[in-house]
Amino acid sequence: MKTTKTSFQDMMAIVPPEIKEEMRLSFSISNRIDELMRERGLNKKQFAEALGRRPCEVTKWLSGQHNFTLRTLAMLSAFFGKAIVNV
Amino acid sequence: MSEAELHLFNEAAKCTFYTIQFLSDDESEYEKFFTRFKDDAQFNPDLARIVAILDNIGQNGALERFFRYEGKMSDRVVALPVLSSKLRLYCIRLSNGILVLGNGGVKKTRTYGEDDTLRGYVLDLQKFDKLLKDGERDGSIKITESTIETDKIFDI
Repeated sequence: MKTTKTSFQDMMAIVPPEIKEEMRLSFSISNRIDELMRERGLNKKQFAEALGRRPCEVTKWLSGQHNFTLRTLAMLSAFFGKAIVNV
Repeated sequence: MSEAELHLFNEAAKCTFYTIQFLSDDESEYEKFFTRFKDDAQFNPDLARIVAILDNIGQNGALERFFRYEGKMSDRVVALPVLSSKLRLYCIRLSNGILVLGNGGVKKTRTYGEDDTLRGYVLDLQKFDKLLKDGERDGSIKITESTIETDKIFDI
């Protein structure tokens, strides 16, 4: 099979370090929430209900592309009784 | 109808990326999308985020939760990003291990269907998705967990 003329590495070169870090953090946080939901045996709907939130909010958190506020992270950490991020 | 090939774009740890190359064009569909917005001052940051999202998808797999579903229930057409951008990239998510990147653009209408250009990109991917399913069924295309094996010319 043929390959594209422009490589993925060439394209990554246009991504500023702060955007790389923003997306790395966002994906890491969403993976952590997904992991904690699985530990508790919660699906998206059950998790949203337990928090009194809409399922579409949970969809955003799990997308790997959400810009979390400290307030949301603190609320999630308190809910699970575990750290979402370690500083 | 236009003739097209599937081209390999990137083999990452947990996802292999492909894109569609129309034989009449110099660039593949994803390269056209990238070229169109890389020097666009307004949308360059959104493009950079999409590229960074693809990097993370490569490391995590093309999990369903990372995408917005855009096509019909019967196809596998998805869009990136899920949030906070008018710039959309359309793709076919075959599995956690395979993503076919298409073209995209700035979404100025409520739905992609109201924009002729974006609707065209989605329709191309829907047709290509059907050709992949047909090819897999008749044995002319082999799809594994993370690869598509074909040198076929597709009529889209």
